[in-house]
Amino acid sequence: MALRTDMHALTGVYALDALDTAAEVARFERHMSRCQNCTGEVRGFRETATRLGMAVSRQPPPALRTAVMTEVARTRQLPAGDDRARHARPGRRLTLLPRLAIAGAALAAAAAITLAVVLADTQNQLSQTQQQLSQARRHLIQAETQLAAVNAVRTAADATLVTKATPIGGKVTVVSSASRGQLVVTTSGLPALRAGKTYQLWLIGAHGNKIRSEGLLALHNGRSGPALISGVLRGDIFGITLEPAGGTVQPTVAPFVAIPA
Amino acid sequence: MRASEPEAPRPAGGDNQYLDGLLARVARGDQAAFEAVYDNLAGPVYGLILRVVRDPAQSEEVSQEVLLEVWRTAARFDPAKGSAPTWVLTIAHRRAVDRVRSAAAATAREQRSAEIPVPHDDVADTVEASLDAERVRRCLEGLTEAQRESITLAYYGGYSYRQVSRLLTVALSTIKTRIRDGLIRMRDCLGVSG
Repeated sequence: MALRTDMHALTGVYALDALDTAAEVARFERHMSRCQNCTGEVRGFRETATRLGMAVSRQPPPALRTAVMTEVARTRQLPAGDDRARHARPGRRLTLLPRLAIAGAALAAAAAITLAVVLADTQNQLSQTQQQLSQARRHLIQAETQLAAVNAVRTAADATLVTKATPIGGKVTVVSSASRGQLVVTTSGLPALRAGKTYQLWLIGAHGNKIRSEGLLALHNGRSGPALISGVLRGDIFGITLEPAGGTVQPTVAPFVAIPA
Repeated sequence: MRASEPEAPRPAGGDNQYLDGLLARVARGDQAAFEAVYDNLAGPVYGLILRVVRDPAQSEEVSQEVLLEVWRTAARFDPAKGSAPTWVLTIAHRRAVDRVRSAAAATAREQRSAEIPVPHDDVADTVEASLDAERVRRCLEGLTEAQRESITLAYYGGYSYRQVSRLLTVALSTIKTRIRDGLIRMRDCLGVSG
């Protein structure tokens, strides 16, 4: 199966933190959770990367030790198994504070405190802006990649196009390419959503036994931009359901539109 | 701060079980154990971050974040999933990459793209590190030029594989394969068990 081979070849890229977007990382990790070979390979690659890291070891400036130990003494630890820990950013970034504290002995206490607060604040803003920039860039790369992929499906030699009117109103168009194992979905005129509801996309396996969420449909003025779905197999059926906001793991109702991929 | 038994530094990359044990103590709030972890791994953490980020002041800042994260999340370390140095250096590499992949930094770096980082110019500063470095260097030399270039740009350069493909004007799928094949060869050459 083309898709699986393709994902498997990403073990090295993943282990070197060289995937481009969070979406790509999430996708690979989903694949890895079902692929024991990949898990083992990634583990070996990470240990290998560690050797590459060890080989460029450098004596850090002595100030780093003081700064880290000072922070450690006043930083609360997270308990095991706290899932938020994985994604949490450290609450504060007060790198300059220990050095400031030493200088502060000579300064009037009040002035030192003001300066520290201002610095901490500036640093926070800087790091926020940096994060926003980095996020915007990831989105852009994601959008570019998505667009290129969408065009590739649309211009594939074996592309087929199906448009279906739905019983709740509006139309759904699916362009699919069996050779690429991908399809592109666009909609127009679907009814506006009531609060707390969302349209969710699904890929339903040939015998209806395997149903995979393909995300939520983003509507702008009653239309949705092209959504790209990969890993489509012969006999799969594409469907849309109306689900509670945020989506569900498996559909809770029958799809109001279903189109063979 | 050095209330409980102080720890003597051990050679970096030496005894993994020793470091595993230290991290378990760090997870219970043992600051002396954390100081020992620091003495063993702050060098590799700072060196790797400096390698990716390049700017010493920023590298120091990122190193501080990483080491603090090691303290905060030590309870999450699971020796069954990988060694202690790998756990720590994985955090360090991710943070360094986050730092350099911000839009502004990336633009500036891509303009300097002709300059391809190779580890040969680095002088390791301890005997243990230089032995490690020698071995890694020998294994890197065993790769094809194309594999070495892709791995070096991705790991030491912090470039994404899409950026690597753009820098080398080589297809994305080729880069993917080169990185994987190169890592397999490196892993076997270094005798790393998966």
